[in-house]
Amino acid sequence: MSLITPTRISTPAPAAPAVARKARRGGVPYAFLAPALVLFVLFLAAPIGYAGYLSLRKVKVSGLGLGSKSRTEVWAGLSNYARSLSDPDFLPSVGRVAAYGVIVVPTMLGLALLFALLLDANRTRESVGKFSRVAIFLPYAVPAVVASLLWGFLYLPRVSPFADAFEAAGFAAPNILSSSGTLWAVANIAVWGGTGFNMIVIYTALRAVPTSLYESARIDGASELSIAWRIKIPIVMPSLVMTFVFSLIATLQVFAEPMTLKPLSNTISTTWTPLMKVYRDAFVRNDIYAAAATSVIIALATFILSFGFLKLVGRRAFNQED
Amino acid sequence: MNLRRSPVATTLLLLGAAYCLLPVLWVLIASSKSAGELFSTFTLAPSVHLFDNIAELSGYRDGLYWRWMANTALYAGIGAGVSTLISAMAGYALAKFEFRGKSFVFNVILAGVLVPGVILAIPQYLLLAKVGMTNTYWAVLLPSFISPYGIYLARIFAAASVPTEILEASRIDGAGDWRTFGRVVLPMMRTGLVTVFLFQFVAIWNNFMLPYIMLGDDKLYPITVGLSGLLNQGASQPAMYTSVVTGALLSIIPLIALFLTLQRYWQVDLAAGGVKA
Amino acid sequence: MKKFAPLVAALTLLTVTAACGSSDDDTSTESNEKVALTYWSWAPNMDKVVAAWNAKNPNIQVTVNKQDGGDPAVTKLLTAIKAGSGAPDVMQAEYQKIPTLVSADAIADIAGEAGSLKDKFPQGSWNGVTLGSEAVYGVPQDSGPLMFFYRADIFEKNGLQAPKTWDDYAAAAEKIHTANPKQYLGTFSATDAGLFTGLAQQAGASWWGVNGDSWTVNINDAATQKVAAYWGGLVEKGVIDNKPMYTPEWNTALNDGTQVGWVSAVWAPGVLEGSAKDTKGKWKAAPMPQWDAAGPATGAWGGSATSVTTQTKHKKQAAQFVAWLNSDPEALKLLATTANVYPAATAATSVLTSPPAFFADQPDFYTIAAEAAKATKPFTYGPNVNVAYSAFNDAFGKAAESKKAAAFTESLATMQKTTVDDMKNSGFNVAG
Repeated sequence: MSLITPTRISTPAPAAPAVARKARRGGVPYAFLAPALVLFVLFLAAPIGYAGYLSLRKVKVSGLGLGSKSRTEVWAGLSNYARSLSDPDFLPSVGRVAAYGVIVVPTMLGLALLFALLLDANRTRESVGKFSRVAIFLPYAVPAVVASLLWGFLYLPRVSPFADAFEAAGFAAPNILSSSGTLWAVANIAVWGGTGFNMIVIYTALRAVPTSLYESARIDGASELSIAWRIKIPIVMPSLVMTFVFSLIATLQVFAEPMTLKPLSNTISTTWTPLMKVYRDAFVRNDIYAAAATSVIIALATFILSFGFLKLVGRRAFNQED
Repeated sequence: MNLRRSPVATTLLLLGAAYCLLPVLWVLIASSKSAGELFSTFTLAPSVHLFDNIAELSGYRDGLYWRWMANTALYAGIGAGVSTLISAMAGYALAKFEFRGKSFVFNVILAGVLVPGVILAIPQYLLLAKVGMTNTYWAVLLPSFISPYGIYLARIFAAASVPTEILEASRIDGAGDWRTFGRVVLPMMRTGLVTVFLFQFVAIWNNFMLPYIMLGDDKLYPITVGLSGLLNQGASQPAMYTSVVTGALLSIIPLIALFLTLQRYWQVDLAAGGVKA
Repeated sequence: MKKFAPLVAALTLLTVTAACGSSDDDTSTESNEKVALTYWSWAPNMDKVVAAWNAKNPNIQVTVNKQDGGDPAVTKLLTAIKAGSGAPDVMQAEYQKIPTLVSADAIADIAGEAGSLKDKFPQGSWNGVTLGSEAVYGVPQDSGPLMFFYRADIFEKNGLQAPKTWDDYAAAAEKIHTANPKQYLGTFSATDAGLFTGLAQQAGASWWGVNGDSWTVNINDAATQKVAAYWGGLVEKGVIDNKPMYTPEWNTALNDGTQVGWVSAVWAPGVLEGSAKDTKGKWKAAPMPQWDAAGPATGAWGGSATSVTTQTKHKKQAAQFVAWLNSDPEALKLLATTANVYPAATAATSVLTSPPAFFADQPDFYTIAAEAAKATKPFTYGPNVNVAYSAFNDAFGKAAESKKAAAFTESLATMQKTTVDDMKNSGFNVAG
């Protein structure tokens, strides 16, 4: 697997001879891996397999369905998949998540990169840098459920300070949770929560860049902007790629934010994102079979997208590993 | 490196900080308001009822909130601790040994990063129920012991911070594999492992779906599930907004404290991984 | 062996944990043996009600696990039933969920164990737990007859009386909103399917029915159409609001006097007190506005029974407890005063003598409630109420946002189709 170790990218030569001397020692590595593998099988592989199995099953009710023996589980073939894909709400929810991703990922990573570069450029008082770094990172400590609740309060026109500000200025307060604004409202929570974390990842990658690499450019009179653009960004590219992939995965899994905002607004339906549809089918409709089928579809799509992306950029960005 | 200060950089950073702090500031102000004030006074006008609210929250069902807090600490602390150790072992094996099936194992674990927790929660429940373990602490702890992302990170850190020469030397000295791992490898990976611990700690602390499904007894709830329950009590009960807002504030504090104390690890860490390899 | 220490450790851990998890069952059903029952409920202070039982029944000790509300509790119960373990012995179940739970074989028929209780409950509540059959799937605990609540001070200022008919209500809504464009007499909440169902029930709808060996579904009937058109009309005119209830915004509106009426149920005082404490003394309770003033009718919102699950190993003891909880005079008093529910049992009228604290100035509160309980129209729930309710949520959410009356009535067709399709897909016999 050549794609996986972004932080080793700046690693100069010594890695190669080290690899050659890696130990080959019978059962030892398996013993070290054993707890992880056992738990992986029990709590990831088995449940996934079970979900796959459930996705091919369905409950058949007979008659009124009220007697205790009126329900039997039968094979469903691919009918759950067919139902899931042909659900008129499914495609719009996929489209919504795509639009959400187009908003969130570039905004979040753009801001994260900007803040990381600003911090790294050392052009502010040290106290400002420290304070901002902690402040921007802080939302990472707030659970998505709580974050959505807080933002929910800030969005609702009657309780929002923004609305008060608008009214004081003599404008009508915009309703952020209206049909056109909801996507942005949800995206904002994700950007708020994720920027700091990505900033730290990029910032640490930047710190690992030896200053000698751009000290000379600086002496030659290159502007900070062009140093950032020509030297720093290319060097942290592997980190950016990885943050991109993980952000993409998180995007496809968007769930907690719209779920928490849903009761506050008419504009978030029970199938607003594909995972919400899974939740609705499993927990509201008690149809875990349909939920399992949709889950499998989502997992496959995530898999294809992220690995596809890694393959696409992989060759160039990660050409150094073993 | 005495660069001239840039007002643009300062402004941008402070704007970013303000954006990130605004909701936190709001929750601080809101939790100082009485129930009536929360819905009547100007949003950003603070009041003096913070301690009343904390007292009321603490009084809810004989201090259940603090039990949730303790549960969360237990889930996140033990879960992240064990998970870090397991990840360290696996990451070390993947980084420093050659063995059959290595790339297969690694790719499979990596694919595990991609699976959403929401999807796993139901089948995990059904399987745990078969051994009668739902509605116990274990139901939340065991699934959180395995973290594909933690293993992925641990592999990077092991590769970067444990020089193969030192392992060789330790072996030549006659130290067993476990002794080498415990005495040599773990200390060298320490900074990286703090990061893995923090990741997993935050992930468990923020987790909602798994405990929500697994637990029927609210004495076992973590904070996220408990707070969401205070909000959604069904139509015939009022949503307890004041308590929820206060509870949200109190629940953020431990994590902030943790971040501030471990801040040095945070930044040194990933960077060190890159440089020392 | 040393090399495999972690593996051994991991396996030991698993064995230990498996042992820890499965330790809480006692298999005996002997009646004089000590048994422990778990009881899932979301009513506040239910543990204090149950304490009275525990004090008198040392051999049947009941532990209350407080739940987050009707939907999450049912979700967890159904998952536990599917898994084959993890369910409580006793469970609070809303009336509209009972057919679902019976259909999933989650709650047991306790006709043989509970004794003769039928005469202690109004017929409507009793039908809710028998589904019209000989079986008894629980004992009614509380009911939620619809009532109307309004800000007496605002009504007085506008020279209005409590509306007797829905025409009066519409006129009052318009007058209030015209006098103060920020004020609304109510809101149409697309997140509260239960209330809309109650309103349809009042108008004479019964969305499901059993016809021989088949279900019938009538969500898009004339009565429901009338209700949807009425509320859609008010929203389109803009004289009532279109935002969901129970949001911070709604709380604000209750507090600052811009939401001046609430079509709700008998349990409303608790919600109003929790959401808008400072408005105490300004509210009054009234019977529901009527479609036909000559034949008063109402619907229900909420209300639940206590059921025994099919996973219990102590069905007899559980049934005894459930019967006591919902029909014993001491329990009824505790239910009404401590758990703040409106007991379904007819004997409860004798314990409900003083009005709820939030309506202290209205001595006839429980008289109005009792009248409403009596006037509750019959309504049959089907086995997939949740499907219909989530379809309501989505379709009416869009309609409320669009503020078009036509969208409201069209939404009913969507609900009807979604509900029927789901039943057919599962294999239920559905007529038509």
